[in-house]
Amino acid sequence: MRMKAEPATRVFNLVGYALLIVISLLCLIPFWLIVAGSFTDELEIVSDGFKLFPVTVSFEAYKSVFQTPEQIIRAYGVTIGVTAVGSALGLLLTSMAGYVLSRKDFTYRNPLSFFIYFTTLFSGGLIPWYIMMTKHLGLKDSYWAMILPPLISAWNIILMKNFMKSIPDSIVESAKIDGAGDFRIYRQLILPLSTPGLATIGLFLALGYWNDWFNANVFITDDGKYPLQFLLYKILSSAAVLQTDNGAYLAANIVPPTETLKMAVAVVATGPIILLYPFVQRYFVKGLTIGAVKG
Amino acid sequence: MSMKQKRASLFVVLTMLTSLLAACGGNNNNGGNAPAPANDGAASNNGAAVNGEAAADGEKKLEKVELTWYLLGDAHKDQDKVVAEFNKMLSKDLNATIKLNFTTWNDWQTKYNLLLTSGEKVDMIFASSWSDYYKLAKQGAFLDLKDLLPQYAPTTWGNVPKQDWESVTVAGGIYAVPNTNAEYTPDGFVYREDWRKELNLPEFTDVNSIEAYLDAVKTQKKVTPINGAAYENVQRLFRTWYDFQPIGSDVIGATSYDAPRDIQVIPFTAQFEEWVKRMKTWADKGYWNKNALSSKQEAGDFIKTGQGAYYWRNPSSAGGFINEITAKQLKMEIGYFPFTRFHNYVIPTLPIANGMAIPKSSKNPERSLMVLDKLRNDSAYFNLLTYGIEGTHWAKGEDDKTIVIPAPGVDLNKTPRYDIASWGWRYEPNMKGEKGGWAGLDKLKEEFKPISKPDIFGPIYMDYEPVKAELAAVNQVFEQYGKPLMLGLTSNVDASLMTYRDKLKAAGIEKVLEYVKTEANKYYDEKGIQ
Amino acid sequence: MTGKHGLMRELSRNKTMFLMIAPTLIFFIVFSYVPMVGIYYAFTKFDFEGGLFGSEFIGFENFRFLFESGLLWNLTKNTVLYNLAFLIIGNVMQLVCAIFLSQLPGKLFKKSAQSVMFLPYFLSWVLVGAFVFNLFSDLGVVNTVLKQLGMQPYDFYIQTAPWKYIIVFFSVWKGLGYGTVIYLAAIMSISDELYEAARIDGANIFQQIRRITLPLLKPTFILLILFSLGGILKGQFDLFYQIIGSNGMLYDATDIIDTYVFRSLTVNFDIGMGTAAGLYQSFFGFILIMSVNTIIKKTREDYALF
Repeated sequence: MRMKAEPATRVFNLVGYALLIVISLLCLIPFWLIVAGSFTDELEIVSDGFKLFPVTVSFEAYKSVFQTPEQIIRAYGVTIGVTAVGSALGLLLTSMAGYVLSRKDFTYRNPLSFFIYFTTLFSGGLIPWYIMMTKHLGLKDSYWAMILPPLISAWNIILMKNFMKSIPDSIVESAKIDGAGDFRIYRQLILPLSTPGLATIGLFLALGYWNDWFNANVFITDDGKYPLQFLLYKILSSAAVLQTDNGAYLAANIVPPTETLKMAVAVVATGPIILLYPFVQRYFVKGLTIGAVKG
Repeated sequence: MSMKQKRASLFVVLTMLTSLLAACGGNNNNGGNAPAPANDGAASNNGAAVNGEAAADGEKKLEKVELTWYLLGDAHKDQDKVVAEFNKMLSKDLNATIKLNFTTWNDWQTKYNLLLTSGEKVDMIFASSWSDYYKLAKQGAFLDLKDLLPQYAPTTWGNVPKQDWESVTVAGGIYAVPNTNAEYTPDGFVYREDWRKELNLPEFTDVNSIEAYLDAVKTQKKVTPINGAAYENVQRLFRTWYDFQPIGSDVIGATSYDAPRDIQVIPFTAQFEEWVKRMKTWADKGYWNKNALSSKQEAGDFIKTGQGAYYWRNPSSAGGFINEITAKQLKMEIGYFPFTRFHNYVIPTLPIANGMAIPKSSKNPERSLMVLDKLRNDSAYFNLLTYGIEGTHWAKGEDDKTIVIPAPGVDLNKTPRYDIASWGWRYEPNMKGEKGGWAGLDKLKEEFKPISKPDIFGPIYMDYEPVKAELAAVNQVFEQYGKPLMLGLTSNVDASLMTYRDKLKAAGIEKVLEYVKTEANKYYDEKGIQ
Repeated sequence: MTGKHGLMRELSRNKTMFLMIAPTLIFFIVFSYVPMVGIYYAFTKFDFEGGLFGSEFIGFENFRFLFESGLLWNLTKNTVLYNLAFLIIGNVMQLVCAIFLSQLPGKLFKKSAQSVMFLPYFLSWVLVGAFVFNLFSDLGVVNTVLKQLGMQPYDFYIQTAPWKYIIVFFSVWKGLGYGTVIYLAAIMSISDELYEAARIDGANIFQQIRRITLPLLKPTFILLILFSLGGILKGQFDLFYQIIGSNGMLYDATDIIDTYVFRSLTVNFDIGMGTAAGLYQSFFGFILIMSVNTIIKKTREDYALF
């Protein structure tokens, strides 16, 4: 496909590669420092700071994280389950809403867009929301308490609407003339044409679920239902409390590493989700999507 | 239907849902006691409920209930087993079981407030001065236990000293059961005793001797003595050296223990001026770093790496620190100096430094109290929930007051020590100590006992409602200008001191001062203090 | 136009579409609109006896600490300027990266670059804060390098000047991978035929980008900016708190509303005052987005948010 490069293209490529390499390094090095840091001796981190390669390799931080491996494994299970169910359900609802709002012949699309956007502006705070979740919906200690809150967001819906807006109206119109119903148009025409958008929103939803510890923090007291991120943050904050005055009452003889623990937690938490991205990437390769559909 | 109608119908739905939500929220807060007068309302109402249930019929069988208890911190790995054991005994004795929940340390303040404000059903919760007991009690978050205690927790009612009950009394009501365990947690610092000896420095007695030590460490050992986060280290030294007694915040306080009514704005005093000038010289000599306010690393961590020499601690956390140094076999000798030696007195912790309270939302306050009474006073219950299962988490020591951890044949790596936040129900006669650890702790206890003076500042309760805007502004000024000044980080002390004082005035410090004075004097009058 | 169609007619005509969006609407009513009753906390002196509606009504008393601080203007300015910088620089960088990633040859390189750019997203602000401290502290990387070059060390933590740039840099850095994905996905939906036609016309790659890619990405760019305008007064608390911490020396340049409120209320937390501050931020954003959206609607209707 690529012919002999013109001078302009050569300049473009040169600038592009240079820029992306610099950016990649800026992103990679800190992450590497943290990975290296998580395998470093606690005292070495305190005295010397971050290093590309640790002098004294230590697994203490990982030992603290994996002190109860059964719990970590179960937490992985919870997170994967919640992420899978939540992302699938969220993607369905978001794409339906985005589709409806992108239809130019849908009279209420602007008021409803506003209705949805408005929720990003005003919020009643934590307490009424908590009462709604626990008292009225009875979601305390339920997996749904982790699945529902991140399920639909105005941001995702508006993005989805934007992606679908770029699909030519003619496709919808000709399908309507053929007598297709709105849902069929959505399922058989719009969805297949929206794969980059769906991949994006799916990725965002999955990342959101994967990183969410707040809902578990507030709603889950049963430690069998802790998701991974919450479990990790819990280990971190207990380690921090052990350093404070009140910590003197707790086991004074065991002091877990704290600096390296933070980094080990980041590594363990990131782990598998990073593999999701390359999987999603194939939807961002040119030539798969709209080009295939010709008038 | 027009657009307007559509909007209207949506509005109707919204209002319905809203009132539903509000009604439930309100209901809960008003609980069963809305119509009754504030003072005895809760108690008499609940008393009535109990009468019907059990108490009037004396020894008649109690109805089976499950109680929800909340503690701070984390559950232990074997928590379910421990609670199951506990419930076995409890169902036999009181026909009740407890569900023991934990807030985890993650964001615990948020969750603690959420549990109370949302009106979720909780029958017992940890309460303490450092988790806003006085404020929450005054705002009505907890149930008044005054009339319930003699009937449902007679043993506790009898063995908690009268002055302890008084110290948790807020506006005539008793809203928590304080723990019974006199403790001393004065400020002090841990330091490199080996370096002090090596550098031929005298034992500490005052700030000059401390300065000499810091200076020798900096110039001869080439080590920044207060490495990492420095603010607390310096502030606590300042406060205890001049014997300031802060009331409510770091900015306002009594000028000494003996002059509780001489309440001033601390940064306006001559002592403060003298101190910050001195701190400027300390900072310039490099006793701490220029980034001391942004560092999140504890000064103690640098002692461990040989890059620090001073770390503020109270005696028990000093013990923990010294034990850790010993356990890690770091080649250094750590000493401890309590600031109590500056003025030769010590204040014990408030009884409500740890305690247990019953939120308004409880459905079974009387039974929850009965369980607490058992837990505090029956050593079988106490040992189980405080120390874990005998033989698994601990074993009997040489006498009744000591325990051995880990129990023989138990691997601490597989069964970590049972260390839940059980502070709220401590009752000294039932408590056990562990053999080993830093010997200095016991010595300090002996030192403190004869010089103990009662805490006359801690229980002064202020809700700041009339001056809350001013207080917020003052606190912001303190953070922005007061902290850098305390650490001598500004280039011109005189100028920044003037700015700090001016900003405090502009923020309304005088109004806050008047409020604090009024509230403090009210308290002193009530308690007959000078 | 809307007035002529009744809701019932509209409902029956577009039954399917209403059904498709209904779960979303119910979701927002239950989880957002009903809990908005909590806004009322801003006007009360909270006590447990009364709860939300039983507590004493005190008007705008809870807003006093904001308006009487004398700092509100500076805080508002800081917050708005930081957010604008994050938004504009962030979006431009994301857009540029997306264009290169879509046009450069070399699949493997592009895929790895894209994955690597996502890494910062996974680091918590706590870690980023520790990392920044390691770079700029007295004995940090930057000062060590300066010393080795025979230059004077620089006291970053008592100088306000560099922090604007440091903060903006790390914010853009952390969100780069995330935002790039959105633009990449948008580029994916541009038809290849357009580029082919341009090539045949002899347009070089820069001309193609200027004439095809950029105009077609404009709606997305405007949408993303517009969406964020409503939250222009809501600062990223974690970012500022973890990087600056409680260093009063730097507040003049780095204090935003969220950190200010946090600090003001640490000694005496007050739910009314906390809610009041949030309401100020919301209201400001609401006014802004309503005006901007109205203006845009008048000029280019399809760019409007609603």
